[in-house]
Order: sequence, then C-alpha cells, then structure tokens
Amino acid sequence: MALLQIAEPGQSTTAHEHRLAAGIDLGTTNSLVASVRSGEAGTLPDSEGKHLLPSVVCYAEEGILVGEEAMHHSLSDPLNTVVSVKRLMGRGVEDLSYLGDDLPYDFIKTDSSVPRIHTRLGDVSATEVSAEILKKLKQRAIETLGDNLTGVVITVPAYFDDAQRQATKDAAKFAGLNVLRLLNEPTAAAVAYGLDSGNEGVIAIYDLGGGTFDISILRLNKGVFEVLATGGDSALGGDDFDHAIAEWLSKESGVEAKCHESTRLLLQKARTAKELLTENDVVGIQLNYGGIEASVTLDRDTMNQLIEPFIKKTLLSCRRALRDADMDKADIKEVVMVGGSTRALHVRKMVGDFFETEPLVSIDPDKVVAIGAAIQADVLAGNKPDDDMLLLDVLPLSLGIETMGGLSEKIVHRNTPIPVARAQDFTTYKDGQTAMAIHVVQGERELVADNRSLARFELRGFPAQVAGAARIRVTYQIDADGLLNVSAREENSGVEASIDVKPSYGLTDNEIETMLRSSMESAEQDMKARMLREQQVEADRVIEALDAALAVDGDALLSDDERAVIDAARQRLVETKSADDEDAIKQSIEQVEAACTDFVARRMNSNIKQAMQGHNVNEYATEDSTK
Amino acid sequence: MFTNILSLNFFELFEIPVGFEVDLTELQKKYTVLQQAVHPDKFANSGDMEKRLSMQQTSHINEAYQTLKDPVARAVYLLKLKGVDINLENETTMDMPFLMEQMEMREALADIRQHDEPLDKLDDFARDVKNKMSDMTAEFSSTYEADNLDVSREIIRKLQFMQKARKEISELSATLEDELM
Repeated sequence: MALLQIAEPGQSTTAHEHRLAAGIDLGTTNSLVASVRSGEAGTLPDSEGKHLLPSVVCYAEEGILVGEEAMHHSLSDPLNTVVSVKRLMGRGVEDLSYLGDDLPYDFIKTDSSVPRIHTRLGDVSATEVSAEILKKLKQRAIETLGDNLTGVVITVPAYFDDAQRQATKDAAKFAGLNVLRLLNEPTAAAVAYGLDSGNEGVIAIYDLGGGTFDISILRLNKGVFEVLATGGDSALGGDDFDHAIAEWLSKESGVEAKCHESTRLLLQKARTAKELLTENDVVGIQLNYGGIEASVTLDRDTMNQLIEPFIKKTLLSCRRALRDADMDKADIKEVVMVGGSTRALHVRKMVGDFFETEPLVSIDPDKVVAIGAAIQADVLAGNKPDDDMLLLDVLPLSLGIETMGGLSEKIVHRNTPIPVARAQDFTTYKDGQTAMAIHVVQGERELVADNRSLARFELRGFPAQVAGAARIRVTYQIDADGLLNVSAREENSGVEASIDVKPSYGLTDNEIETMLRSSMESAEQDMKARMLREQQVEADRVIEALDAALAVDGDALLSDDERAVIDAARQRLVETKSADDEDAIKQSIEQVEAACTDFVARRMNSNIKQAMQGHNVNEYATEDSTK
Repeated sequence: MFTNILSLNFFELFEIPVGFEVDLTELQKKYTVLQQAVHPDKFANSGDMEKRLSMQQTSHINEAYQTLKDPVARAVYLLKLKGVDINLENETTMDMPFLMEQMEMREALADIRQHDEPLDKLDDFARDVKNKMSDMTAEFSSTYEADNLDVSREIIRKLQFMQKARKEISELSATLEDELM
C-alpha cells in the first residue's frame, strides 16, 4: 500500500527515481514492447534489430519457441505451432465452431470450459500461449533496459469483452508482469499521435489488425482523451484478407486446402502476395505442392475485389460508432490508421473516401499502439507526477442479466464511461423462494442465447417470503480496465453473494493457481526467501508513503487520538519488518491499512475539494482578467 | 471538516445549483477536474484501499455526469431529490391526444420503406422529435421551478416516450443505411 501519492506541484515526495515501465501490444499477428527512454517513446528491438515479434509459439522437441524461430515450424509442424492465438483468448469450447474451421489444432475438451490445445509438450490454453509471448517480450525489455519492470500497460482491442480482457490479464499474471492498466488499442494510438501533434478535437481511430477490427471516436482536450464511442468486430481482420486470397489462389492453382500443411502453404503465399501488392501492381505466385506445380499472377484490382467486402464491413461499424458518439462525418478532424492491415492501399482509400479526409499514417501502423502504451505506462508508473494526461474509457458492450423468458435486461449500457457501478432490484416470483440464480451476460441482443454468457452464480439462503416480497439488489461494478464484479444482496435479510466475473470462459482461480505453481521454476526455498523479501520491500513502501502523507495532512485531518492509533500501527510494522516472518509483516501492513482507512478517505476527499477550488479560482481569475 | 463525496448529491458534487438549467460546458469542465483528482489511473501505484476508493468515487462521478448531462435523466433525478420516485417501467401517460399522436408516428415509421426518400423522411422525424423534446423540457423547467411536481412527473412520462421514439428512429436509420450500402 502506498498512501495517496498525490504529488503536489513543486513538492516531490522523495528524490525522484525513474521506474522502468513498458507498453506491450499483444497482437494477433505480431507483438511489440516499447518504453520511454530519455523522454522518447520507442519500440524495443531484439538482438538482431527486429522490433516485431511474430505472435507464434511452437511447442517443439527442443522446448518452447516464440516468434521468428517458432514461425519456421508453422509449415512443417502446424499442430504444435500456435498462431493468431489472440482469436482464442477468452473463448469457450462452443465458440470454436463460430471462429471457423481454419484452426488446425487438436482441441482437448476438458472439465474446464476453456478449450486446450494438445501439443507434444502438454495441453495448453490460449492464456498460457499468450503468456509465452509476454515472457519473451518481458525478457527483451529487461535485457534492453537493464532492470526489472515496475509494471506494464497491455493493450487490448476496445471491443474485447470481459472474458477476453480477463484472459489477457491472466496471461500477464503467468508471465510475472504487474499490469498497471489494460488499455484500449485505439486510445493508445491516439496517445501516440496526440502528443506528437498536439491535436484537439474529435478524431476517429481506425484499427484493422490481423484478427480484430476496432473503430473508436475520441475527443481530445487538454491532455484528456475521452472515448465517446467504440465499435468493431473481434473476429475480422487481415487474416480474412489472407483467407479470401488463399481461396482464390486455391481455385486458380488447383492446390486444394485439404490438410493443415496445404492450408498453411496457401495462406503463407497469400499473405506474401498481399504485402507485395502494396508496392507492386501485379505479383507472380509459384506453388509446388502434392504433385501440382502452378504459377499464378495476381493483380491489385483483383485483390481489391477480394478484400473489399471485409473493408465494407468495417465501414458499417464506423457508421454505427459515429451515430453512437452523436457525431457527423464532418465533425471528425483526423482519422488515425492503426494495424498492419491498414498498409493495404485499398483500405486507406476506402476509409479516406468514407471520412472525406486523408487518413494519418505518419507513425508506423504496427508500432503506434505499443508506443502509446509505453507513454501511458511511463505516466502510470509515476515518472511524470505533473502530467495531465488522462484516458477516460467506456464500456464496449452492454452488460445485462437474464430475466424471465430468456431475455437479457441491460444493467449497464454500451459506451457508458467506466469505472461505473449500477444496481438494479429484482424480486422472487414464487412463494417461499430462498435462492435466486443470477446469469450475467454481455452483448446488445434481446435474447440471452444471442449474447455472451459471462458467469452464473446463485444467491442462496435468504428467508422464505411470499412471492414479490424479497428485494434482491444486484450490483454491477466495472473497473477502469473494463472488468466486471457482480454482487447480489437480499435487502430484507442482508444475505450477500458476489463474484469476480471470469469462470464461464476464463480460467478458474484453481486453474490459475496450479499453472502458476507449475511454472515457478525456482525451488521452494528460493520462493520463500523471495516472498519475504517482497513483503519487506512492501513494508518500506508503506512506511515511506505513510510518512509522506502524515507530513502533509496529518495535522489537518487527524485528531490526536486517531494519530496515536496510526503511529502505534506504524511502530509495530517497523518492528516486525526486520524479523524474518513474512506472515507477521503482512499482518502488520494490514493493521496499518486498517488504522488508516478514515485518513485515506479524508485525504481523497480533501484532494477532490482542492481540485474543485483550484478550478473555481482559475475561473474567477480569467473572468477578472477579461473585465 | 469531513464530507464523503459518495454522500453528496450530483449537484453538490459538481458544485452547481440544484435546478433544471445546467451549463453543459461548465459541467464538462468540472467533470474533467474531478476525474483528474480521483481517476484510478492516478492511483496505479497505490494500495488496494485507495484503488477501491478511487474506483467508487470515479463511478459516482461518472454516474452524476451521465445523469446531469442528459435532460430526461436530470429531470427524473430532480424529482427524486424532491422525494418523487418515478418508476418509468411501470407508469405511463394517459393523455389520449398525446398517445394518438405517438401511435400515428409509429405507424408512419413502420411504413417508412414505402417512402421515396426514407432517410430524409427519417431526418424530418428526428428533427421534429428533438424540437418537441426541447419544448417539453422547457415546460418541465418552469413547472419544476413552480414546485408543481405532479405536472412535472407527467411531462417526464411523455419525455420518456419521445426518448424511445428517438432511439427507434436512429436504429431504423441504421438499418436502412446498412441496406442501402
């Protein structure tokens, strides 16, 4: 715990220590890590100078391979080489068919609702595969920056639902990363551009990646990035271009996509052709497979026709987002292009025509998200206490609850600013009912069956009453990362139940625990020592922050008695800190926290008051000066 | 000395006078100021207690902003502050001429595809609804100031109809646009 580290301007708490932080773009096709060094945000290259890490993980004979070296196995060993794993994040077994037949893996159905991919090194979930990519990037960051990371900002498509966000956060946990924030990719891109060009006004971020499409409408004003609306499709991207081209290629060449190997080959040829066609008008493709030798030419117009339906689909989402934001095309000052798939000239042209403005492409569309995330990570790590940058996000998809007749009643609507809490009262429909099932769903449709099921839980053990007499208040609390916690309480009796939403498609706490344990390479002894050391560091942090807070506000906000209680708790922590007892330190920290509850709350409130007063004073000042 | 902001009403929170007329520019400015003070990103390195408090307070501020920003939500909230709890799910206006008018418009919307320029026609509808709504909110403002709460309540019931109509028009526009693409 660090007590309210609000650095008053011109009054730094301690000698400033730069905390290492990084931004990670965990992409469908490629992933990147970026950091702010000497005030400059940039992506970090590997030892060979490559910035993009292909999001490919191979479970090979010689061990787990990630990136370029894994990609070499994708043709020869497709079953053990996982590509585009982002499409599987937070997905359930029953989603697999919806994602298409092009997933050439052996899925194992387990008791868990999370599908696992069978590999020669064991069965793995999408979360674990993503964790391998994150570990690789973490290692790269540590090697480049020279020390461990305080925390990271990981980007996710704005359109990601709760399960997908949770899966991403779990992956970071496996990789041993402290997540400062899950940041929406479009917002990250706006951060990267906003700081470069000092934009003010309404902008659109068009983000077409390998497997996801996002459109966001943002308002920029004095460092505050306010998301007005987001939309998109979490299963649409450049991969679809590749598939369309591969299908055409298969027809033209006679090479059929009959097995994993030929499918991969066609896809790889399609991707190469697509990339070449941004520079050339026509490209020749050679195929040699299963006794068929073919030479095919593809020109840009033909490719444009193949990919146009997908681009049109993205423009429908743009239209909708504009309407949600209550904006006209004419209100949009800039359009920022993000994602490798916006390299396709036809995408740029159609988007430019739609918004009637030349899209911005000056920052590498592959790197722009990671760069924005790095800038945000630097701020969140506390390296820029005076920075005004603030990213205000919205809920991407409505959250509802199942009611009678399989209908979804929305509790929090899409595009509501987060964090947000909403409560709704329900009642029983049978006499003597003592339990109620709560089914949490996410999506815009009327029927529960058409939406995404996030979690089910039961509120049990409230007293039997006549039908309609019980008052069950269900509260949805969504945090700044867009993650949901649901609690239910029968108001007459006070019986409660609550759940962090993740079980339906996420990993259960038990699964996470088991995986964490098995991934800990260090022996138990080392673990213990490390945990003790971590607690001691935490204790130091708590004491330091408390002292700073007391110095500023102790006299103003605490009575003598209250002060004495806090001092005593502090003293106990100082004493236990030097003993080698991890649990005792933990307890003492908790005692300090308990003793400080009111103090912290008062500090926050007085902080708000000060902010409002400062605001009012400024306003009067400007009023006076204009008189 | 110590007021918990969670216990403040939305007007007190934004330090603006309780009433229907709200300066939206000022509201937005203050929203930003409050967010700068409490948003969870300002507590990324803090302890769980601060994080939780910051989340609760930011949620409260967001709720307040959403309510005050929207005229209908603001009107409902004002009546609530006066002890009038409106349950819009279960109560509706009984004003027959108004209901007839609403029905006629719904019928026209249902037949919009037969119209020569359906999107233009929809725009006309939208403008019409918007104008009526602003007349009604002006009326609410004066009845509320006069403490005529029953009439105010009736206006809100009608406003809710209009809000629904507005939503339907915008959804219909979306569907038609999609079909035309």
